Amino acid sequence: MENPSIAHAQPHQHQQQGPQGQPVLGRGAAPLATPPAQQLPPQMFTTAAQLLDLTDKKLMVALRDGRKLIGVLRSWDQFANLVLQNTVERIFAHPNPSAGGLYADIDRGVFLVRGENVLLLGEIDLDKDDDPPAGYELAEPELVHRLAEEQKDKDKVKDRARLRKLASIGFEGENIGEVLL
Amino acid sequence: MADAAEESTHVSEPLDLVRLLLDEVVFVKLRGDRELKGRLHAYDSHCNLVLGEVEETIYVVDEEEESDEVKVRSAYVVGRRKLRWT
Amino acid sequence: MLFFSFFKTLIDHEVTVELKNDIQIRGTLKSVDQYLNIRLDEISVVEELKYPHMSSVKNVFIRGSVVRYVHLPAGSVDVPLLEDATRRASQGEMRKILNRLT
Repeated sequence: MENPSIAHAQPHQHQQQGPQGQPVLGRGAAPLATPPAQQLPPQMFTTAAQLLDLTDKKLMVALRDGRKLIGVLRSWDQFANLVLQNTVERIFAHPNPSAGGLYADIDRGVFLVRGENVLLLGEIDLDKDDDPPAGYELAEPELVHRLAEEQKDKDKVKDRARLRKLASIGFEGENIGEVLL
Repeated sequence: MADAAEESTHVSEPLDLVRLLLDEVVFVKLRGDRELKGRLHAYDSHCNLVLGEVEETIYVVDEEEESDEVKVRSAYVVGRRKLRWT
Repeated sequence: MLFFSFFKTLIDHEVTVELKNDIQIRGTLKSVDQYLNIRLDEISVVEELKYPHMSSVKNVFIRGSVVRYVHLPAGSVDVPLLEDATRRASQGEMRKILNRLT
């Protein structure tokens, strides 16, 4: 594959679809307004193209608040707003650092996720899907949830102390009012 | 681009100052507890940066003590939208 | 536009993307879009035991807004070309503003 050049970066500027552009739904979408010819076909470099081949696949979606959703991607737009079907939320707890961790799945149904809350989407390798994550075993949701909450509370206290100390030497927290997990 | 030589030193907005720093070693203070030192190769109006020969400093708070341990890493790095000071 | 174009020159290179929550994901850069959303294939996660939710994931779409750094292999950057493109892009910006005013 031939590399495109960065030399002619400018001329496409006004052709780009801005954030105010028409929302384009995932499936059977009309082609996005794309910049004119690079050496690689420009339609490869749109949000639509990136999400198109994840459509109808089983995905793990990590959200900004730390939640992990596993579901089938049914629709999306250029902001990465998502519709997930047959979603489960997977929770983890690792109370004892020297022992293995625990995880549990909770049925959640259909999700519409607003794009700004998405960290990443990952396509799940169906060959590995049935194996538990390395070092983790399935446990009761109630137990895992309780342990995870306890850990979260502990981390919150620690993080608050850390931010206070950093603020005292002139650093601003990266995420005031929220901790990315 | 005949007037390029003249324009390249023209300063009319803050980021024009950054243009004068291309290929210089710059100090970047990021949001959060991080600082970078590296050679500036590219930037844009969002303050996305490409830096080479980067030294990253992360301030790690020692839980009990006042001492601020410092971790250093080196790599080619593209920073995103984090520039506060150059 | 400059960074969008720059990332397109890195397609098929191995990069490591570090997110604002400190997770580092290494993989082959497969695609990028105008928001600098990133597609990585054949991924591996640094310190993967800390991130069990990534264990069965083989490729990812990363939202551009949560990226802190993209670590690039040193040889993959044409530095003089990149600096030139930056100078031209910044002047192009200025010329557009001037044109609008006059």
